[in-house]
Amino acid sequence: MPPVRDAMANRGDDDEVCPVCKSSRYLNPDMQFLINPECYHKMCESCVDRIFSSGPANCPVAGCHKTLRKARFRKQTFEDINVEREVDIRRRVMQILNRREEEFDSKRAWDDFLEQREEIIANLVHGTDVAKTENDLQRYASENVRSIRANQALEVQEASSFKEQQTHEQELARLRREAAKQEYENERRELQASREDVLSRLAAGRPGDAAAIAREGKKVLLKKSSARRSEEDRIRQKQAALRNSDARKAGQTGNTADKADAAGDSGLIKGLKKIVTPEPEKPYDPFGGMVPNKRDYYTLRDFYPSSYLDPIRQDTRMQAGGYDLQEYYSRTLMEAFAGLGCFVDEEVTRRDDGDSLRSSRPVATQGSALAAVSSAGTPDAS
Amino acid sequence: MIEDDFYRTSSQFRLWSFTAASLKSLRATTNSVASDRVRAAIRRAQEARRSATSSATGTPAPDGDAGGSSSKAEEKPIECLTPEEEQQTVSYYCEQIIQLGENYKPPLPTIVRATAIQYLRRFYLTNSPMTYHPKQIMPCALFLATKTDNYYMSLRQFADGVPGDATAEDIIAPEFLVMQSLRFTFDVRHPFRGLEGGIMELQAMAQGQGTAAPHFSGSQTAASLQQGLLALPPNPNPSASSSSNLTDRIARAHHTTRELLKTAAQITDVYFLYTPAQIWLAALMLADRPLAEFYLGTKVGVADDDGAQQESPLAALRVKLRLTLNDCAAMLQAYKPLASDPDQMKTLRRIIGKKLYHCQNPEKVNLGAGGQKRIPAAAAAAAAAAGVDSGTSGSEMERLAKKRKLEQQPQQSKDIFGGELVMQRTKER
Amino acid sequence: MAVSPLIPPPPHEAKVTDTPKKTEVNSTERLLHNQNTIPFFHSTNEREVTEQLNDDVRHKYIKDKRLGEGTYAVVFLGHLRTDPSSFVAIKKIKVNAEYKDGLSMDAIREVKYLQELSHPNIIALHDVFSSKDQNLNLVLEYLPRGDLEMLIKDTDIHYGAADVKAWMGMLARGVWFCHENFVLHRDIKPNNLLIAADGEVKLADFGLARSFADPYLNMTHQVITRWYRPPELLFGARQYSGVVDVWSMGMVFAELLLRVPFIVGNTDLDQIAKICEAFGTPTEDNWPGVTRLPNYLPADANHTLPVQGRDFFLRQFPTAGPVGADLLMSMCTLDPKKRSTACQVLQHGWWSSEPKPTDKKNLPRKTDGIKKMGADLTRRGGDFDDNTTFKNAARQLKFTVARD
Repeated sequence: MPPVRDAMANRGDDDEVCPVCKSSRYLNPDMQFLINPECYHKMCESCVDRIFSSGPANCPVAGCHKTLRKARFRKQTFEDINVEREVDIRRRVMQILNRREEEFDSKRAWDDFLEQREEIIANLVHGTDVAKTENDLQRYASENVRSIRANQALEVQEASSFKEQQTHEQELARLRREAAKQEYENERRELQASREDVLSRLAAGRPGDAAAIAREGKKVLLKKSSARRSEEDRIRQKQAALRNSDARKAGQTGNTADKADAAGDSGLIKGLKKIVTPEPEKPYDPFGGMVPNKRDYYTLRDFYPSSYLDPIRQDTRMQAGGYDLQEYYSRTLMEAFAGLGCFVDEEVTRRDDGDSLRSSRPVATQGSALAAVSSAGTPDAS
Repeated sequence: MIEDDFYRTSSQFRLWSFTAASLKSLRATTNSVASDRVRAAIRRAQEARRSATSSATGTPAPDGDAGGSSSKAEEKPIECLTPEEEQQTVSYYCEQIIQLGENYKPPLPTIVRATAIQYLRRFYLTNSPMTYHPKQIMPCALFLATKTDNYYMSLRQFADGVPGDATAEDIIAPEFLVMQSLRFTFDVRHPFRGLEGGIMELQAMAQGQGTAAPHFSGSQTAASLQQGLLALPPNPNPSASSSSNLTDRIARAHHTTRELLKTAAQITDVYFLYTPAQIWLAALMLADRPLAEFYLGTKVGVADDDGAQQESPLAALRVKLRLTLNDCAAMLQAYKPLASDPDQMKTLRRIIGKKLYHCQNPEKVNLGAGGQKRIPAAAAAAAAAAGVDSGTSGSEMERLAKKRKLEQQPQQSKDIFGGELVMQRTKER
Repeated sequence: MAVSPLIPPPPHEAKVTDTPKKTEVNSTERLLHNQNTIPFFHSTNEREVTEQLNDDVRHKYIKDKRLGEGTYAVVFLGHLRTDPSSFVAIKKIKVNAEYKDGLSMDAIREVKYLQELSHPNIIALHDVFSSKDQNLNLVLEYLPRGDLEMLIKDTDIHYGAADVKAWMGMLARGVWFCHENFVLHRDIKPNNLLIAADGEVKLADFGLARSFADPYLNMTHQVITRWYRPPELLFGARQYSGVVDVWSMGMVFAELLLRVPFIVGNTDLDQIAKICEAFGTPTEDNWPGVTRLPNYLPADANHTLPVQGRDFFLRQFPTAGPVGADLLMSMCTLDPKKRSTACQVLQHGWWSSEPKPTDKKNLPRKTDGIKKMGADLTRRGGDFDDNTTFKNAARQLKFTVARD
């Protein structure tokens, strides 16, 4: 790439002189040099202002015809402009090829991917096969927009949740310390109280009871502390379980986020896991996909005139038992039309043909199957 | 249509629906398998008898008699029933079920009898009357139907209604065999309740309380439905009286249809070939064609409705439905009750009385005794009590005993048709 | 030998070599196979078409170990011959165990209705076949995670409103589907609600089921296990509707929330008394016609309680939340005419209110539910596990479930 070569050639120039206006830092100590990642030609801030303030313009460096925009000028991070450029390229490629290890079938596939990524970066840095490489990269980017975005989001999330987790753990540790302190305090107080109790009972009781009272006092104390311990254990376990379930939930949402575009890959990256696109979360359907009360041949009414049914309508006992004429209407009309449009001759033939191919559903052995069995049974008789 | 899917899940549709061709071939296969076995079994029985007599008299068996049947004035080759004769036999016993239902007080519900008839018909798709005589299977099928249709009575109570000397044990003996042949599907979808639904809706329409079908909510109103009914041409059916009252007309059609469903629909093959909805509508067509066509039109439209767009799915459905209903109606109309037709009775007498007697598989006669048929202890005990000498072992003796039992049955069972005819046969001897 | 060509050969050992159960499987298999070949040696070599069909079905499965045994049935774990990893439960019904009139009504009902009902929340009947000695074998869906009763009773298992909602949703869907097909279950209770490997709740035990809705047809009121039986049946109603099952569902709902059965009567009378105590006294005002029911007993005039309102339910079942309490109340309405139907239950706002029902795969579960399935399937309709009356004691399981 010619401009790069130029930039390299310029390396020997005095860093303290603007290659465009030739003004020197010596005269202007506040002078700032800026670069544009389009060609990496260095120039001073005032040149950038002067040349690009009114819109995109060509790079003023002789022989460089790149069109540059003011917004993209920035300060140089690395002293070596080549390093600066490589870091930029790397960042861009990494943002596109941001697959994660868990997306690959195997460690090997992941390693292959890393190697491939390095090669692409190297190509771009050293100007080998640039057109093709850029092309591949762009195609990949457009085909995997969703997964790229999902993985970016995941990275951001991880970065922030790492911070959160740290503060969370610190908070937990603080709570634990406080709880321990409290516990110690309680124990101390109880010990004190029970000692006082024993003492007062000793003072009140007969002398012979002394040993017994002291023993009892100790036992009560033991019981209390063991009860407390198991209670603490329980709470601790519960908290642990809660933490785990939180973590699991977070993991699940993460998973759904990065499971995006499954197929349609141009095949730049090999060895990716087949991603099962999770079904978009549907609202809960209490009927499990069936449509209640849907009918095609008739519309059910709430009342049908019928002298046959009239006595039922007046029979309080049947009414009290819950007998429901609506169910009768529904059943008789369903049976009136169930199968009206089933043409046995057509459907049975089709079904029998289909069934000879798959024998999974045994209950449905039909006419032809019956016939086949019965003829197969014949040889025995002869 | 959602109602159709409802029917498609039924065991009746899954297991017991056939095309005319598959039904015919199934029956032919059943018949030929049974015929082969009957011939073989009778031959074995004859041989056994011969060897029994020869060993009794001490004469050695005639030599060169390896084939058995080739020697002597062997009775004519065994003539088996044809599939058509088998079907007639079964139909006859189906009619008997209707009669038997009347023996109870109160009479057994129509639906129980209809279920029993369908059980019997399903049973004889894979079994032949030559193997299992319908007179033994029929009461069992009816008793099973009382259980599956929630009309429960005790076996003893049920047996009291069965004419002849059949004991409770005799009746229940083939139950497992019947259930197995039914492939353990007990639910039968009848057209009766559907008829009630249709009539109920027609009556509502006649009284101006009809509701549009979902696909015609734009064009049908309670008033238009009522108007349509009022404008119907009179029932061309010659037997129909001409009353102008719409409610009466519907009630009469209801009655006629119901009678058709209780008889013709039971004894013909319509349950195997059509769906209950088609069966009751076809029967309604026979009872009052204009009424039935009007009602159907409110559901699937009439030809003019969608004029240009004959390709609509509803139009396709309508065309197919018309053909299907006509076929079904023709089948129902062709039915003539056997018992009231002297010609058919004469044929039947020949089939059941003579032919079936000769080609009854001797090894299956007594369902209560051994063979492959495993039986409840009670029935086995009953069989033993009936005179099978359990002391003598050996299959020949068993067969002879069975033969004896077969021969003594006629004198005892007076009322069951089969018995009476077999008695004639005994006299002939 | 005349083994029919239709009988598949026994599976090759290679198929099971890597499972530790190898010897067990093979010995069971050999035994089965030998048993099955016995009839083939019969002199005639004849097999009827129906027997042939039956054998085809029977040979698709291999029985493994016994899971449970009751007086009414034995349940085995089994698997497909072609696929040792697809399990089934084989319920072998003992024919004529106590019944001279042929196959018992329980078995007939169960087979009849399961053959027709196919729904994710109803136990699937894959096949039926007969084995020797005229035993009926039902090949049922394998449900290894026990039942709701087990989860309710297990104090180690914690569950919340979202879980209860998920379970109730599956139960209500199953019941609604039965009613859509005009079948009453008539024995809904926690130990008839089995749980599949994926967490799906399945309605099982159709031994008391029947079709309904026909007018002028008497039905028995002696159905549904007492604690789950609605007041109209306790009062002896002979014509009733689908809402009898809804009451039972309401009782299961309450039990899930309380973790003990809600209304526990020692006798039918006691059950009525306790229902009145809980929900109020039925009167002609709140339940027109109730006094005309055959077994109605007038309540003590000094001790009539008003029908409980929303507040009561919310107080009693705070975990359900106000919307859930409202649903429960609509399921436990004394007058069956005012009680919600299964369809109305599913149309209730509770399902769409917070919290969302737990996804079935995340529901709390137990691992050793297989034995429980064995015990559940051998029970006969209407039995209590822990009933003390003599009649039911006779039906008690010989097989006791180890519970931890």
